[in-house]
Amino acid sequence: MAVRRPAQKPSPSGADEHLLVRAAQRDPAKFDALYELYFNRVYYFLSARVRDRATAEDLTSEVFHKALANLPNYEWRGAPFAAWHFRIASNALADQYKRSSREHSLPGDPPEISAYSELSSRDLEAIDHQVQLFGLVNKLPAAQRRVIYERFVDQRTIREIADRLKKSEGAVKQLQFRALQTLRAQMEGGHA
Amino acid sequence: MPKRSPAEQLDLAISDLLARPRQRSLPRPSPSIAKIVTLARSLCDLPRPDFKSALKTDLQRRTSMKEAAAPSPAPKKPAQFRRPDFPNIAPYFLVNGAPRLIEFLVSAFEGTERIRVPRPDGAIMHAEVAIGNSVIELGDANEQYPQRFMTTHLYVPDADATYARALEAGATPIYAPTDDHPSGDRWGEAKDPFGNTWYIATRKSWTPGPEGVLTVQPYLHLRDAHNMIPFIESAFGAQATGVHKSLDGLVRHATIEIAGATFEIDEAQGEVQPTRSYLHVYVPDTDALYAQALRAGATAVTPPSNAPYGDRAAAVKDPFGNTWFLATYLGTGRP
Repeated sequence: MAVRRPAQKPSPSGADEHLLVRAAQRDPAKFDALYELYFNRVYYFLSARVRDRATAEDLTSEVFHKALANLPNYEWRGAPFAAWHFRIASNALADQYKRSSREHSLPGDPPEISAYSELSSRDLEAIDHQVQLFGLVNKLPAAQRRVIYERFVDQRTIREIADRLKKSEGAVKQLQFRALQTLRAQMEGGHA
Repeated sequence: MPKRSPAEQLDLAISDLLARPRQRSLPRPSPSIAKIVTLARSLCDLPRPDFKSALKTDLQRRTSMKEAAAPSPAPKKPAQFRRPDFPNIAPYFLVNGAPRLIEFLVSAFEGTERIRVPRPDGAIMHAEVAIGNSVIELGDANEQYPQRFMTTHLYVPDADATYARALEAGATPIYAPTDDHPSGDRWGEAKDPFGNTWYIATRKSWTPGPEGVLTVQPYLHLRDAHNMIPFIESAFGAQATGVHKSLDGLVRHATIEIAGATFEIDEAQGEVQPTRSYLHVYVPDTDALYAQALRAGATAVTPPSNAPYGDRAAAVKDPFGNTWFLATYLGTGRP
């Protein structure tokens, strides 16, 4: 059962996006497809703008719950659906900053946070670049992928990973090195 | 001081990065690894797969609650978690040459081919063969799921007749059924042409029909098999029954039940090498069990999703290297 790993999804065209949104408005169970398309984008948008993983996860959760709840009210006006998603994300970020300011007595107003529709083409490229990288991590050979997740997501030390994988620390460092070399080559359009 | 290898230099830079993920002015890495370090910085924002799947599940639950609360749709019939005619934990054979294995199962064990899903290149993506009251699944191996040699225990009405048919179909004899097996059952052993081992047994208290024992039970030979029991109990809420251990604590044999279906384990030693199996088990809540298994130490293979054949499906790997395909029947899809 195996066996069918979805390919990295490209950014959807406007028409595809419109169809997906309409389908989800008719049947909320179809929201899954939108979630899969936008999860990495929303997560990265937030993660790059907050201090820690827990906050990024809380905000991502908030954004998707709001998006699902408000989907029936969404009206298609020609702008990318992502713009709506990222406006929710921007609002969630601003609210979070206000909460954090109150708790920690931070001075001043919340910083300007650009919504997706106002992001520069460079910002958009950075988001696409990041989404592509996340996709490529999932295509690494299993051992390399596991080292990457344990090192960067679980933030384990090389020794801890070596113990868990029953490998030497040197072997784990090599797996990490090879994984990053492969990712770099693929991101630059070459082959590892 | 000896020169550090690129892998070591990279790891030092990554350690700095992880200690201060938001700091932009870290020590400059050597030019040979500078680009890789920049890439490594991007990986600090990699989302946790568990978080992604848990949030998805949460959203799906919310969706179904909304549907349930809506006045118009008719109430859904609650789905049984197990696909009809799928009572056992199925060994999932991934081999090079799946059509030949189907032929073997049909000839040797009087199996009935009930599904065959081809790939465009003619290979088999998925097939099912019913044997007695149980199911065996198979497909052609591929890069992600390479061929593995598995052991399967068959309970049949007449072990001698089945053993003879298996040899006629191309199996290699290991030993003919005998009453001297320690289990007390009449028990023989053969290897199929792919190298898989088959224990062919008849229970002394055999009760034919659906109320009897399951015809097919996966049999796992494990190194440190005693560690499987606490793992599987915690990961899948399994229950170990009839655990027989040697004086030095090695598991001679144990039967383990998950959601009403069973498999067997014992300690791999001597000529019996450890097996790494592919197993397909139906459970009441794939998402919950997937998360539970990861907490217990399993490795994620495929997060839960709705499969096109009408199951909620996911996959994890246990610490012994066995791959578990978890599934909950959604009441739709193929018959």
